[in-house]
Amino acid sequence: MTFATMLQTMGSGMLKTILLFVLTLLGSIPLGMIVVFLKKSKFKPIAWLTDIYIAIMRGTPLMLQLLVWYFGPYYIFGWSIRGYKFPALLIGFIMNYAAYFAEIYRSGIDSMPVGQYEAAEILGYGKIQTFFRIILPQVIKRILPSVTNEVITLVKDTSLASALAYAEVFSLAKQISASQTSFLPFIVAGVFYFVANYVVAWIMKGIEKSMQYYK
Amino acid sequence: MAEQNLENQENLGKEVLRMTNIHKCFDTLVVLQDINLTVHHGEVVSIIGPSGSGKSTLLRCATFLERIDGGEIEYLSKTAAKTENNGKVSYANKQEMKEIKKYFGLVFQQFNLFPHQSVLQNVMGAPVHVLKRDKKEVEEEARILLQKMGLADKADAYPCNLSGGQQQRVAIARALAMKPEVLFFDEPTSALDPELTIEVLKIIRQLAEEKMTMVIVTHEMSFARAVSNRVIFMDGGVIVEEGDPEDVFGDPQQERTKQFLKSYKD
Amino acid sequence: MKKLLAMGLSVLMVAALLCGCTGKKEGGRVFKQGFDLDYPPYSYIDDNGEVGGFDVELCKALCEYKGWTYEAVPFNWDAKDAELNAGNCDCIWSGFTKNGREDEYAWSICYSDNTQMIMVPDDSDIKSLADLAGKRVGVQTATSAYDLLQDKEEGQGELRETFEKLEVYDTYTIAFNDLQAGGIDAIAIDVTSGNFLMSGTEGYHFLDEALGSEQYGIGFRKDDTELRDEVNEALQALVDNGTYDEIGKKYPEIYEFLCLKPSSEE
Repeated sequence: MTFATMLQTMGSGMLKTILLFVLTLLGSIPLGMIVVFLKKSKFKPIAWLTDIYIAIMRGTPLMLQLLVWYFGPYYIFGWSIRGYKFPALLIGFIMNYAAYFAEIYRSGIDSMPVGQYEAAEILGYGKIQTFFRIILPQVIKRILPSVTNEVITLVKDTSLASALAYAEVFSLAKQISASQTSFLPFIVAGVFYFVANYVVAWIMKGIEKSMQYYK
Repeated sequence: MAEQNLENQENLGKEVLRMTNIHKCFDTLVVLQDINLTVHHGEVVSIIGPSGSGKSTLLRCATFLERIDGGEIEYLSKTAAKTENNGKVSYANKQEMKEIKKYFGLVFQQFNLFPHQSVLQNVMGAPVHVLKRDKKEVEEEARILLQKMGLADKADAYPCNLSGGQQQRVAIARALAMKPEVLFFDEPTSALDPELTIEVLKIIRQLAEEKMTMVIVTHEMSFARAVSNRVIFMDGGVIVEEGDPEDVFGDPQQERTKQFLKSYKD
Repeated sequence: MKKLLAMGLSVLMVAALLCGCTGKKEGGRVFKQGFDLDYPPYSYIDDNGEVGGFDVELCKALCEYKGWTYEAVPFNWDAKDAELNAGNCDCIWSGFTKNGREDEYAWSICYSDNTQMIMVPDDSDIKSLADLAGKRVGVQTATSAYDLLQDKEEGQGELRETFEKLEVYDTYTIAFNDLQAGGIDAIAIDVTSGNFLMSGTEGYHFLDEALGSEQYGIGFRKDDTELRDEVNEALQALVDNGTYDEIGKKYPEIYEFLCLKPSSEE
């Protein structure tokens, strides 16, 4: 196998990695927000259920969760899971990352001084307006560094998708490395992850900079 | 402002706020006991007293940041809260409260400006998003207000770039932009250095001259004496003494008032 | 590519090389068996949490015979070459297929035959390799079955092109789960691993038609022929004294594939 063929093969894996990464972010970032609302719900059973959900998502390995999401419908309900692999992967990643994002959002929201809420209330802002106009913009600035960490972890966590035979870049590296008895595919994969995370860090830094106009 | 002043002139003497038999406790600790306070249009009322006397809590009850445990609150004869026959306090419904909340503004000790918004955005935010008023019109008014506060050149600055005194003046402009009937100040200069205190007091004095209705919780005794029509001395959750500033400061009747004022002179 | 590989390895393996001493002892050497922890029945962790399996037992017997100290070096199968080249182990001995890798290691004599098969559910409509067209087939990464399906010249690369999809799993256990759950239609697997998977479950069988065949040997570093020769000699001795056969009987699922014969029979 020439280096070019190898790169070409691994390129398809890189695209799959990026696809999983992007879709997970698109799903989990807003879902995390909904999870925070549920967690802060005044209806206690919902708040408790949300706590349990977060505890499970954070307390068990993601790889195990992926297996449960995929095989669960068959073993529990006897449903056919043919062709359900990618949806299961997405659900697994999004549900897991939403839990982590929810905790980050919560810490950001809880760190907001009560004076901001009171000032908004006195001025007549409604609850939703207060959240979206006053609180959220400030929370985003506060949590950005933690979010960056989480996003970088996600780039690397995509390799767990190999548990469900998803041919992302790291699985391909393993396969090619084994059949070619070469370490090179791992180096290529390493460079890919590094570059991908460099891009992520660069974008996040840009967003952070755009919010530096206030303290 | 001119328009509002005229209106104020017409209403002069009319009741803006009436608080009757207010009770408030935190768990078992009674912080307000049988408080009665009426504020009329154009009046400047100062509330003084030692820390823990309940004066800030009274403001927070008047502005609904705290719920009262007994008594009645009325704004412009509209009932906001009252004690039912079963002894429980009920507040007006959401829609009515929304209307009532438009009658007052509050200036905080810690300013509580929105740090992510520019000075102009801070002042314009509520009129545009809460009152849904025309943006251009609001901006015109906001700039006039800022000019009055001596901050015309700071419209595009962010709160973090302003001194404490400037921030507090922005907070006053932000409250005034909603054209409240009465403006509450909760120790507006306590977080400020003495030289910055002066610029804020100057603004409040200016508002008093324009007959803006104000209730001021303050530790600035000479200022309270000079600017108010009426002074209330609170201690231990009750109103101990109340009256014309010259009487309260010059010839206090109650022993506790005398002691308190003496501690300030020393 | 070889140069790049060498460079990459040297950079990445410096640390490993530094501490990867070959550990020769006076009297008897330490013999380090590198193997995959999850490749039953050749090497695995048994019910008591101990390493076990045919290859492990055979290697221990060989060390005893030679007076060497046995050391187990379990590793992630993907890292086998790095481990071997870094000197962390003396050999790769873990159901290791020689076919297709003839030039990459110094090989021992082959001690076991193995055949690549297709496993399907009993109620499957797949009766022959040709029936796999348009089906989903599972395989474990870095196995000879996987390699066989990649190889278009000597292997079954062309057959693979007829599949709807080849799903590559980290372990055969997950692949078998997926076969049970209906996510895939068949599994390409070597006969011993396949027998092991099917040993606890009814309802699965191999197609009569084999996918390919291969032989298991022990892989040494290419320049390590001296050690290889010593092991070959000892291995033959174990066959001659019956130890090989004795250990083999403990693993009925692979017994029939053991291919070494006592010297007297040849």
